[in-house]
Amino acid sequence: MIRRFISRDSVALVGSIIGLSSVLPGWLTLKPSRIVAGTSLRLWQSSDWEGSTVILGLWLLCFVLSLLRGSKLSALMLGTAANLIIIVTFLLAGLVASNLLEGAAPSARVSLGAGIWMTLGGAYVVIFAARQRLPDSPLWRNLVSWAGLAALGVLLTIGWLGNLSILQEFSGREERFVQELLQHLFLFGSSVAAGTVLGILLGIRAARSTGAAGPIFFISNITQTIPSLALFGLLIAPLSALSFAFPVLREFGIRGVGVAPAIMALIVYSLLPVVRNTYVGFHQLDPGVIDAGRGMGMSRGNIFRKLEVPLAAPLILEGVRTAAVQSVGLTAVTALIGAGGLGWFIFQGLGQAAADLILLGAIPIIVLALLVDAVMRAIITLATPKGLGVGKQ
Amino acid sequence: MIRLEQVTRYYGNTIAVNELSLEVSQGEVCVLIGPSGCGKTTTLRMVNRLIEPTAGHIFINGQDNSQIKPERLRQSIGYAIQSVGLFPHMTVAANIATVPELLHWEKSRIASRIEELLILVGLNPAEYARKYPNQLSGGEAQRVGVARALAADPPILLMDEPFGAVDPLTRERLQSQFARIQQKLKKTTILVTHDLDEAIRLADRIAIMASGKLVQYDTPETILSRPANKFVHDFVGTDRALKRLSRISIQSVIKPSPAIVMDVSIEEAVSVIGSRPSVWVVADDGRFIGWVDMTSLSAATSVREAIVPGDVDEIAITASATLREALSRMLGQGLRNIPVVDEKKHFIGEVTLSDVEAVTAETAETGA
Repeated sequence: MIRRFISRDSVALVGSIIGLSSVLPGWLTLKPSRIVAGTSLRLWQSSDWEGSTVILGLWLLCFVLSLLRGSKLSALMLGTAANLIIIVTFLLAGLVASNLLEGAAPSARVSLGAGIWMTLGGAYVVIFAARQRLPDSPLWRNLVSWAGLAALGVLLTIGWLGNLSILQEFSGREERFVQELLQHLFLFGSSVAAGTVLGILLGIRAARSTGAAGPIFFISNITQTIPSLALFGLLIAPLSALSFAFPVLREFGIRGVGVAPAIMALIVYSLLPVVRNTYVGFHQLDPGVIDAGRGMGMSRGNIFRKLEVPLAAPLILEGVRTAAVQSVGLTAVTALIGAGGLGWFIFQGLGQAAADLILLGAIPIIVLALLVDAVMRAIITLATPKGLGVGKQ
Repeated sequence: MIRLEQVTRYYGNTIAVNELSLEVSQGEVCVLIGPSGCGKTTTLRMVNRLIEPTAGHIFINGQDNSQIKPERLRQSIGYAIQSVGLFPHMTVAANIATVPELLHWEKSRIASRIEELLILVGLNPAEYARKYPNQLSGGEAQRVGVARALAADPPILLMDEPFGAVDPLTRERLQSQFARIQQKLKKTTILVTHDLDEAIRLADRIAIMASGKLVQYDTPETILSRPANKFVHDFVGTDRALKRLSRISIQSVIKPSPAIVMDVSIEEAVSVIGSRPSVWVVADDGRFIGWVDMTSLSAATSVREAIVPGDVDEIAITASATLREALSRMLGQGLRNIPVVDEKKHFIGEVTLSDVEAVTAETAETGA
């Protein structure tokens, strides 16, 4: 009898346990300056008892709810509790940071500790589990998925979190941040766009002639296995030689270091997923479909436009999605050869041993990757022809 | 209408079709048949230039088809294939509209044509027009394939095992439906199959091919009764007498037969039976229900109680059936006589085993 009620949602349970154990490590670190190790404060040390009680209570609620599987209502409550945890955590963090810094030296910093990261991690595990159980209501799914992030956005805009060290790293660097963000978008966007066009052309070529398929895959497979730094290094020599031989090229930014080798390397990396998926997309087409089209008098162009492209599109776009998400991350490395981008903050932070500066580069890259992924998934859904999605009746 | 003159096709050094000459008259169904690799599909695909002959000419209405632009030629020839090749991302309606759209028909004309064709192949337009191919059964998909081939009302139809990929029962239904449609539309048709029964059933003329050559080209009756050589003889098999039955309609052996309604008295039923083994029972509107015989009547208090119910689809045949179907129905059900019904399952009469035997003996005598 009891077992019927206690049929647990193991994913949510894992999230709750992570959340409950997040009270053990420190939540906030107070440091006399940005690079000196500071004192770690636990949840109950860093906030007054009401705040700690709310968070602990919400985690206990999640724990209990994840033991009671079942109804949509419990999934909704689980999702709501997890989002509340995120919101309260950031409210507390902003408030406590301001209190701690009051009267402290201007060089003092308050940074987020392991406990807060664990709580956020646990909360998103719970949110993921709750989302899985709300498959048929897109409104609630989206609300559960995005409410916490939206609240974070609001808190950031109104300056509530301004006393956290990561934002203090940001302030004073706004211009640089915007510049590197745009540079990052430019590097990744232009290389993925070029890689997509080139990859689709090569993929179609490979699918059309078996003779071409061999070399095309040989080269794109090899390049994929070269570590990104090595590839940048490999490009430096020929490109600088080229720019010395033809100085006019330098006016277009073609030098051994900088934007040109970065974009070239990123194009090469985005090639393989696009080529491979285009090839498979065209290759897996039912020969009967193409034969029927030809037999009914469709021209080559008609067959390409009306049959091959729409039927291969979902797979090709899936390749573009892989390439795009991968490129967002790879673009971080291009900062090393002077191409800029958000990676600049990461390498600056590494050089100065300033963890918060690293995060200033890393977090936007992660958010960007998630965003690109979500947008591409939406595009794929739109581009998938209806007949391929509907099930048998 | 379609004339092949000394058509040859090589693949590298192997010869697929060897100096084949063949003429299909207007409105006739020519079935190409032969063991696999005999060149029948290659022959079919040369007619609409999906494959170009190495030598020889193919004339469509007297015009050499190599003089017609391939796309235009194909748009004027209906094409249906075994794998159906329905476009999975398009609805049934859009699939059927393919050729009319290539021909730039007006929207309203296309729409009414789609409806007309779906009705022709026995699919309800309201239900099927907006379905996608993966929502159709195999038989439905092949019917849509045929409708699509007929869309622009081409005078010529090429079919490559169009009823191949379905179960035998569905295949039989599709065949008789095609025979009915063909009777109405009289398309000049070339159909490729490896199923001899299908060939005998649908063909006006059968072209038997072996290793790229035409071995015999004649009506099914002649091929069955006078095979040109040992190859054809072996190919049509020892049961060719039986196969010939599928060329003969039961029309000539349908006999009127008494039938009673359920409400008659037992005495009346007994008097109708008289010396017969049994009597058919129909509903008031003439629908077939079953039969009664002396054994079932003797144990019952009313006719209604004595009825041996018969599933009309299992024991009855339609007036358009062949002697072969009638015979196999009788043997399968262990009945000496079976009821004949019309398309609305209304009782028409019966066919008896002795009559079938009589016709069989007759054809066996006239045959060689």
